[in-house]
Amino acid sequence: MTATDRETRIPDPIDLDRAEEARLRTAAGLAAPIIAEGSEYAGFELVGVPDRPLQTEREREMYTLEEGEMLVNMGPQHPSTHGVLRLVIKIRGEVVTDLDPIFGYLHRGIEKLCENATYTTALTYVDPMDYLSSMHNEHAPAIAFEKLYGIRAPRRAEYIRALVVELNRVFSHGLMIGFLALDMGGITPILYAFINRDDVVELLASISGQRMLFNFFRVGGVNWDTNDEFLSRLGKWHTTVLKTVTDNERLITENEIFKGRTKGMGRLTADQAIAYGVTGPNLRASGVPFDVRKAHPYSIYNELEFDVITQSSGDVYARYLQRIAELKQSLHLIDQIMDKMPHGPVQAQVPGIIRPRPGRAYGAVESPRGLYSVYAISDGGPTPFRFRMRDPSFISLQVVPVLMPGHLIADTMAVMASFDPVMGGVDK
Amino acid sequence: MALTTDPRAPAPTDERDSSLVVPPSPGIVIPDSSPGPGDDELLQPFGLEEHPQGGFHGLLEVIPTRADLVIDLIRANSLWPLLSGLSCCAIEMMSTATSKNDIDRFGMFPFRASPRQADVLIVAGTLTTKMAGPLVRLWEQMPEPKWCVAMGTCTTSGGRFKRSYSVVQGVDRVMPVDVYVPGCPPRPEGLIYGMLKLRELVMARRGEWRTYVDRGPQRLAWEGDVR
Amino acid sequence: MRLLTERFPDVAHDLWTDEDTVEIQVARDRIVEALRTLRDDPEFAFWMLADAAAVDYGIGEHFEVVYHLYSDRHPAWLRIRVRVERADPRTPSITGLWTGAMFHEREMYDMMGIVFEGNRDLRRIYMSPDYRSFPQRKDFLLPDDAADSSAAGVNPLERPETWDLTTFSRELTSSAATYPPLDTTRDAPPAAYPGAGESADKSRPA
Repeated sequence: MTATDRETRIPDPIDLDRAEEARLRTAAGLAAPIIAEGSEYAGFELVGVPDRPLQTEREREMYTLEEGEMLVNMGPQHPSTHGVLRLVIKIRGEVVTDLDPIFGYLHRGIEKLCENATYTTALTYVDPMDYLSSMHNEHAPAIAFEKLYGIRAPRRAEYIRALVVELNRVFSHGLMIGFLALDMGGITPILYAFINRDDVVELLASISGQRMLFNFFRVGGVNWDTNDEFLSRLGKWHTTVLKTVTDNERLITENEIFKGRTKGMGRLTADQAIAYGVTGPNLRASGVPFDVRKAHPYSIYNELEFDVITQSSGDVYARYLQRIAELKQSLHLIDQIMDKMPHGPVQAQVPGIIRPRPGRAYGAVESPRGLYSVYAISDGGPTPFRFRMRDPSFISLQVVPVLMPGHLIADTMAVMASFDPVMGGVDK
Repeated sequence: MALTTDPRAPAPTDERDSSLVVPPSPGIVIPDSSPGPGDDELLQPFGLEEHPQGGFHGLLEVIPTRADLVIDLIRANSLWPLLSGLSCCAIEMMSTATSKNDIDRFGMFPFRASPRQADVLIVAGTLTTKMAGPLVRLWEQMPEPKWCVAMGTCTTSGGRFKRSYSVVQGVDRVMPVDVYVPGCPPRPEGLIYGMLKLRELVMARRGEWRTYVDRGPQRLAWEGDVR
Repeated sequence: MRLLTERFPDVAHDLWTDEDTVEIQVARDRIVEALRTLRDDPEFAFWMLADAAAVDYGIGEHFEVVYHLYSDRHPAWLRIRVRVERADPRTPSITGLWTGAMFHEREMYDMMGIVFEGNRDLRRIYMSPDYRSFPQRKDFLLPDDAADSSAAGVNPLERPETWDLTTFSRELTSSAATYPPLDTTRDAPPAAYPGAGESADKSRPA
């Protein structure tokens, strides 16, 4: 066999693929691939534009390429660690002109599943939504179900709830700092953040049994009381945490590269934030002093002293500083809770399957990402009639296409990470 | 582009370069229990078919030599995972990779972002029907030898989302899995135990991957496909 | 706060108060101006849209779009319920008032099939763009939905013949369960939308 024979005999897999794809495409009745005819892209296939006809006005605006523009797909799997988020970025050169976030790659149908589950089971289904703040995920439905059922949790249960919720906030904000640095290339802070998280999460595991998706809240209280291991771990952690957190954040807060990459980036004005429904640290970093713990005090937050911290500039650096400040504020809150914790039962007497009276209830908590709320409708049966969760990361993602144009591709991840979206919550 | 072929796989013609294939030696023959070509209809929609002479069992039906042992040791001790964290188990996977539960001691430190450089696909997190297409494409892009670890109950069997309309009930519906690590999420120690089991599999050449013959994409795109 | 109902005597009815929520019902065609008044009027000042949800009241029943608003001046959440008929599931979009309602409305469209007129980007957000059912409706049945796709029947719960437990246990326990052959002829492309013929490459005039 000569060399030329071999060349003709073994076709290039790329040609095989293209032939196969063309065959399947015609068999399915789709149009031929769009070949760009502009001066720059002559002969190349226009990648990134969806095959199907564009459905909406915004899609047409997004997927119509002007001269010199190109679509880049940061696919569902990418080295940034927020989860499966797909960003279609329209760039001209290195500058982003438009951005389309596409998600749904983690949509698990939790709302529908909860409609067939009892109230207590529904409390376990909501854990993996915003998996970095599972306690908050459970707190909001617990509030809503208790409103439906017409009971209040005992005071010790409320204090334990506030304690674990603030612990959750501590490690969630710590992780955000780590992820922000990781998305910009710094690999050390994420390791420190995970060490910090491991400490807290072992603490929470000693009280709830699970490291991550704590199945801890019940309608009417909490599942377990504090035990010796929890208290001893809490004491040991508490003595060193402030110093550890300060040391870790000092790595990046005064870092020139970090500041240069984050200051002035992704500036979100207060009006924009309000119009887009952004809540939580993202909103407070733009100057709006809205905190659900102060606005609609739930649990025992009206007995604790704390201020609403805001920053003035709404850029990435401000959101970062805001989270550090809130982290320290949470430590302060944990101090107060530990001082004031009363004795008493930790769970109200409720039957195993509760059947609340027909009604509607809305419960909102302040999660590390913003306002997390649950709207529950009961029809008198053992399962909720409608269980709707409003996740803050879902709403915060609307802002990113507004902030990104004008920045470079590399800043996309910085801005994205500063909003701290968790795709489990976005996609439910 | 929907280009997912492994360029090494030859075209499905009969004239193959037979010098590349090691003929089975007439000595000790390790019985081949793997499914042969045409047996696994799960692969049919992907256009993949078992190469009749591929895979560990077919290709290397010889007594393992010292060189094979060294190769196995090398493979087992530097399994590079692919960053394919989908949801909550991803956080535990990252926790396994970081300082307190260090998976770097087993050589698995670099979580590669590109599937072309990865050995192990640790599917960490719930696989939904929309994500199934991209994930399978990632799997196809990984060069052989490759292994798959299903971490968490969502990937093992659908987990707590058993009756959901959009969750794939177990990642072994779409790709061959070597190690299942149960837990929701599994503790880092559990994942490390699973990876050590995988090391055992690699050393004993009991993995599930096969050498595939690619017959081209059998369907044009999956729902919600990444283009 | 009962004073708000005297402002809307014609559109708001069925006021209901809970311990911290005030609930009113507004007709579908007056919702935009009602929300605009609630947002802009300094006495109300409901500046934050906390939640926009959709509820399906059952097979053959109506839908409801529920908005939750927050104001600093009033201690209660305000819940506004808009009744949407099942036969005509359209309602005006409030993206003109709060741009952040875009994703809420997309989700309501995706999950319930309520069409928001005036929304610039009403496409599916969670499910794939070519999905044809509305999952959170009460009459959503898994076999019906899966029947449209060539992946029909891969999940045994999507095949009514497996609902018999004696045969179903085999599907559950063995991972080598038999799957029905995939039928690729059912993957029809979606119906043509207006503007389907436009070229997406604008660097040359079409």
